[in-house]
Amino acid sequence: MEILAAILAGTIYGLIIGIIPSAGATTGLVLMFGFISWFTAFDPYLGVIFVMAVVAASTTGDSFSGVLLGIPGANSAAATMVDGFPLALQGKATYALTAAITTSTVNGLLWGTLTFALLPWYGSLIMIFGIPELWAFVMLALATVGFVSSKFWVRSLCAIGIGCFIGLIGMDPHTASDRYTFGWDYLADSVQIMPFVAGLFAVPEILKGLFGKAQVAKMQTTQRGQTWEGVKAVWDNKWDGLRGGFIGAFIGFLPGLGGAMSDWMAYGATTAANPNEKIPFGQGNIKGVIGPEGSNNAQKATSMIPTVLFGIPGASFAAIVMALFMYLDFELGTVDLMQDTQFFNSMFIGFMGATLLVCVICLVFTRWIAMITYVPYWIYGPVLLVFVTWACVQPYYRWEDYAIFILCSVLGITAKYTKFSRPAMLIGFILADRIESLSLQMTSLYTIDTLLQRPIFLGLCAAVIGMFIYGVFINKTRLDYS
Amino acid sequence: MFKLLTTVALATTMAASSAMADITLVVPQKPGSGTTVWTEIVAKELEPFLGEKINIKLIPGARDIPGFNKWHNELRFQDDHFMVSHGGNGVSFLHQDVDYDYSEYESIGLMNLNIIAAIRNDADEMKPSFSAGSGMIPEAFAMTMLICGPNKSVDQYVDCFKDNVTWVKGMKGSERRLAFKRGELAGSRENPAAFKKHAQPVIDDGDARIWFHHGILDAANASHSDDPNYPGFQMEILFEEKYGVAPSGEFYEAYVLVKSFRDGLQKAIWANKGNPNSAKLIAALTAMSQDPDAIAVLATKVGNYDWLIGAAGDQQRDTLLSFVTEDTLRNLVKFSTEALELNSNYKPSLLD
Repeated sequence: MEILAAILAGTIYGLIIGIIPSAGATTGLVLMFGFISWFTAFDPYLGVIFVMAVVAASTTGDSFSGVLLGIPGANSAAATMVDGFPLALQGKATYALTAAITTSTVNGLLWGTLTFALLPWYGSLIMIFGIPELWAFVMLALATVGFVSSKFWVRSLCAIGIGCFIGLIGMDPHTASDRYTFGWDYLADSVQIMPFVAGLFAVPEILKGLFGKAQVAKMQTTQRGQTWEGVKAVWDNKWDGLRGGFIGAFIGFLPGLGGAMSDWMAYGATTAANPNEKIPFGQGNIKGVIGPEGSNNAQKATSMIPTVLFGIPGASFAAIVMALFMYLDFELGTVDLMQDTQFFNSMFIGFMGATLLVCVICLVFTRWIAMITYVPYWIYGPVLLVFVTWACVQPYYRWEDYAIFILCSVLGITAKYTKFSRPAMLIGFILADRIESLSLQMTSLYTIDTLLQRPIFLGLCAAVIGMFIYGVFINKTRLDYS
Repeated sequence: MFKLLTTVALATTMAASSAMADITLVVPQKPGSGTTVWTEIVAKELEPFLGEKINIKLIPGARDIPGFNKWHNELRFQDDHFMVSHGGNGVSFLHQDVDYDYSEYESIGLMNLNIIAAIRNDADEMKPSFSAGSGMIPEAFAMTMLICGPNKSVDQYVDCFKDNVTWVKGMKGSERRLAFKRGELAGSRENPAAFKKHAQPVIDDGDARIWFHHGILDAANASHSDDPNYPGFQMEILFEEKYGVAPSGEFYEAYVLVKSFRDGLQKAIWANKGNPNSAKLIAALTAMSQDPDAIAVLATKVGNYDWLIGAAGDQQRDTLLSFVTEDTLRNLVKFSTEALELNSNYKPSLLD
């Protein structure tokens, strides 16, 4: 009974956090520091179940914001909105949401099972992927988003450059001194991801809803029957969902890459695999929802592999999970913990239980939640802005966070209306630090000769070149989304 | 526009509320970071002995400096605000532009610990690769002396370091650990608790060995002694075994300075001088440190380290400050700038 209560409580908490635009799993987990100690006194294993339930539920809940509002639920769930939101405006919100949730659930269950059942055997596999492979993988992510997913590839390249520049604000790893801070001390700690994502994506959509042409679904459409259509769409496009799941799982498995690029890579792979679509991507193609949604939960599940095995967080949310588990007396990466079967059972039960439960809750209530698309934007737009602002300043409430949020909003609005790809900008921002640090590491530790002896690295480099050629010269059905 | 302004104002008001508490510990890091976790765990054990609620205020920022600066400039004058610092703050104090100054505080308590380095068995000790960063300065000094030997000028040590050490920049702690496990990086270093978790398994697998450690600072004698957990691996002992003479000279003195400020202040709680609440916090910390159950919890969660409380902490701080001389500071800055390419400043104000 207590286990079910922990799953239910974690699921509801995670779902609420996931639904709040721009918030996401990391925000939900950070806020847990205020009450995690309660589980220590009661039963720390219930705490593990609760934490994993929050991770699973918030990841699934991210879909609502993207589909219904055109605002990313979290930085790792931004691609869903590209096709999800147009579907919602066509009166097909339940269809899109059901497809998103079903894909998320299937991949969450699949990769959750594979992760937890085979956990002890992954250690040696992780060791195959060294610094050069991680570097090449990051470059592949850039190429996918920059050249495959965008119609205006030159502007996309500029957007990546702008994103990289903003991402490099902070500390120079060469000298450990401030870089591009313009004398503003706050920037020495880098531009924070939450205000950047919210400013780039959420505010332009909210303002468009409030002051632009009304974005309300047609009343003559009905949500009835769309749940089954959404489930059926997942089956019809199962390979897109499974491909997305594989991409998400692989990125989660590689330590330190983070989840933010996985859904865009999955989206890019979906568009590349479906070149001749009747409904263009970006205008409400259900495959554009199923592909990226496949990656979210899979990425969250496999991010736990390096985190649990080595105590090395696979993504930013996993670092917070590690710290929360410390309070519960579970130190990830230690030999003692590897022998604690109750701990692993708790992780498994929490993640899988919440994945299933949140799916049931969402599928039952989606029809009703989707009704929000019939409501004029001015009624709930201001509330959204409140929540987005709240998410941006968590957990420090610094005035600088508000300032950066406003500046990034200006950037987002400008990019949206001048057709500079915001996804490319986001990926540039997120990966700039990784590109720089991995380049430094690779050039310090490897020579051309040693790199030429690494087949996976060479294969990934070939894929990067292939993506560039395909994106620039061959692909004619690129996405018109900025 | 009115709608917009109203909602922004509402959001701001919502965000500005925060809980009040009896004692506030200021931490210069984000949630989940090492010192934040340490503080949460210690605060929870300390509360019953203090009989008051402890609030934790996180003020993160670049290199963990802004939070400490803010406490120094503003918050320390509030009697319920205390500062939690770590070894990186100690190193920054020596050669970076910071406002805080340990000589203006009194110690509530601090943990004195050691840092241990490991090296892979297939690596060449004389040509190692090691993760860079300002937190690695003591390791850079130690390996330079072990590689290059005695009787050299600072310039010669700088050249020797550049010739022999691959200093890998841009690596976070987690990347360093994984690169060491994978064999991409020759050496790594950890505090004792993290060493057991991350380096010892590699050693147990036969892939690495203990390289050196810095020893444990004895504040009363202003010297470092061997770590009983890793006997015989103190840098000074290894150096003497290898070269037949004890390490000495200006480069060695700069090493003693920087390792002491990092490891001797690894985790420390500070109060402004004359804070009327210091006594009760010191009393609570003393009681906690003598309680077997509390110490058992701390040993499990944050490692089994000695506490130096109240006057003992002040003595430790005074000993560290006695290592600060014009020569040690200049040589620290010279090596950091020329060999490690860090942005490092000579601070004559520390000599006042």
